[in-house]
Amino acid sequence: MTPGVAAAAGLVPAQAGILPEGLNVSFKLLPAILVSGMLGIFLVIGYVFKVADTEGMWVAGRSIGNVENGMAIGANWMSAASYLGMAALIATSGFYGLSFVVGWSTGYFILLIFMAAQMRRFGKYTAPDFVGDRFNSDTARAIGAITTFLIGFVYAIGQARGMGLVGLYIFGDLGLLGLSGYQSMVVAMMAITVGYLTLSGMLGATKNMAVQYVILIVAFLAGLYVVGFSNGYSTLLPHIEYGALFSELGSEFSEPFVNGGYYLWIATAFSLVVGTCGLPHVLVRFYTVENERTARWSTVWGLGFICLLYFSAPAFAAFGTDLYASEIGPVYGDPGMTSAAGDVIVVLAAQLSNLPTWFVGFVAAGGIAAAIATTAGLFITGSSAISHDIYKNLINEDATQRQQVLVGRLSIVALGVITTLAALDPAAPIAALVSYAFSLAGAVLFPMFFLGLWWENTNRQGALAGMTTGLVVWTVPMINEVVPSYGILSGVAGSDGVISPLLAQWVPAIGSALVAVPLVFAVTIGVSLATPEPPEKTKQMVRQCHSPEPMGQQQTAEEAITGDDGPSPADD
Amino acid sequence: MYDNILIPTDGSEAAQNAVAQAVDLAEKYDATVHALYVVDVDATNLTLGTEQVDRIRQGRIGEMPEVKAEADDATGYVADAAAARGVSVEEHVTAGSPSRAIRNFVEDNDIDLVVMGSHGRSGLSRVVLGSVAEKVLRRTRVPVLVVDLHDEDE
Repeated sequence: MTPGVAAAAGLVPAQAGILPEGLNVSFKLLPAILVSGMLGIFLVIGYVFKVADTEGMWVAGRSIGNVENGMAIGANWMSAASYLGMAALIATSGFYGLSFVVGWSTGYFILLIFMAAQMRRFGKYTAPDFVGDRFNSDTARAIGAITTFLIGFVYAIGQARGMGLVGLYIFGDLGLLGLSGYQSMVVAMMAITVGYLTLSGMLGATKNMAVQYVILIVAFLAGLYVVGFSNGYSTLLPHIEYGALFSELGSEFSEPFVNGGYYLWIATAFSLVVGTCGLPHVLVRFYTVENERTARWSTVWGLGFICLLYFSAPAFAAFGTDLYASEIGPVYGDPGMTSAAGDVIVVLAAQLSNLPTWFVGFVAAGGIAAAIATTAGLFITGSSAISHDIYKNLINEDATQRQQVLVGRLSIVALGVITTLAALDPAAPIAALVSYAFSLAGAVLFPMFFLGLWWENTNRQGALAGMTTGLVVWTVPMINEVVPSYGILSGVAGSDGVISPLLAQWVPAIGSALVAVPLVFAVTIGVSLATPEPPEKTKQMVRQCHSPEPMGQQQTAEEAITGDDGPSPADD
Repeated sequence: MYDNILIPTDGSEAAQNAVAQAVDLAEKYDATVHALYVVDVDATNLTLGTEQVDRIRQGRIGEMPEVKAEADDATGYVADAAAARGVSVEEHVTAGSPSRAIRNFVEDNDIDLVVMGSHGRSGLSRVVLGSVAEKVLRRTRVPVLVVDLHDEDE
């Protein structure tokens, strides 16, 4: 095969497809009704609130409370990666999988302490808006927007993979249009997601997030308790009781650093921490809350809701791994559990416990709810980067609202199409695919937010140099490890699909932010020191963002410094 | 004959094109001109994100300086044109889907004439971008004067 043909074949892969071993792949009536019903409910809620939306006058006074905002944070955040991917990595890689639990929860602490309230004070709409206005640069805004779009794309590949695999259990190996069963499910599920986004108003999507959170957490916890109880693993506290299984599961599961080394563990956890603080679709929830206090408490509630699932994932993984070992075959070694089976371990555990199909279907439906909620958030953020930050701010300043709607819709469709194509033959398990997006957010956006909010002398030149560095450090390992599995450059790659194993060891794509973040900080600070300081107005805005003086409820930093002619806030 | 004339505007050239006609009519009939800017919820959703729709619904447009500036620019253009001819004018901003919001405004404010611009799109671009004027025309009971942008080019 010539390289060109190989590349083409990479995009439309052969019939091999992905088929999780052990999973009962067939059409099941009750689960199919359950999942279709759930998707129907999402559409109805979306539609009902869309009508309310368009009727919408200004409803003054009503504001989103901490708990509601926390639930939205939880649903927006917990994707197929949390629901399926986290348990999957713990099952296949044991202790290494814990870096996801640790990284993703720690990220929220950093967010809480350093960014949530400050972001609220700065008062912008989108991540690229912040970058563009803080550094007074359209180029910075454009890089921010492109990064945001890229994050949405890479992140969503994992969601599509999750929906495709779970769909296999419910709807069976359909094999439409010459695609494999998995690929057909990916196409169908992505089509539903894009259609849902087009049909439902935004208010609908927000209301849906609370519903989606409830579905996913109930499904996950019910699954865990029932699986634990019916197999005699656990009673009241499976989160602790699963420890009793350690001796049976083998050292691969419980011994530290057997599967991933120490460095990889740290790199992954670090990337996930900084990525959490740099993800545009997470941060966006903080721009709009009523005040800083709400911003902080929403974070606390959000983290609380998220932890309900995170404390449970390791236990679910342990039960699944044990069931797999006793009913299908050895989990570790060769061939061992495939990444596809790992990615559905949550569903598989329920199925192997001989629970009724409707119940297994319910657990699977939770995964779909998680994936759809997050994909919706990602695609909206991606489309806003294109239509607001690039089209309206850079290309056509006089764009009317309707032109922006058109550009926004096209961006969503484009995101849907490229995500589907990339997910037809995904390069890695769900959790790894999602971590690539975290590395990107951590490497490019996190340093800009952090330095932008906390060091007033960060200037345009520093930001541009820093963001470019971050993009390069993220892209190189992606080309090194991930791109070859799509058939591009595969000729240069070794038998394991990696071009340079040495680079992959020290700058792994899954954790490239560990190298990128210190480098980007150094470059940004260095260049900022070597070039003129930013304008006084910008500095005042930064000071206002963390001044100890409380700000009025509906005030932004910009208004606070232009509002009165008094002395500017002192540097703190 | 006419007491309240509504000029819906999105600040585009097409909308501004209709202002002269409306103000002229208002002067003749001694009517009040109402300039209305509708913050399109769909546009807000797709460009600024879901959370901003929540913000708008809470009536906190004051927190969104860019959106407010755009609305003020659009209605301000009408106000200036009206003031130049000594016509009394009121500026309004609301949110929702444009055609529906215009319809509601007409019903709630005793509007007896709507004067609005249209891009005069045809073919594919009409299907894609749609015509707010067309929907308003079809769904309100008051007279609507549609001023096509292309008329001026001829």
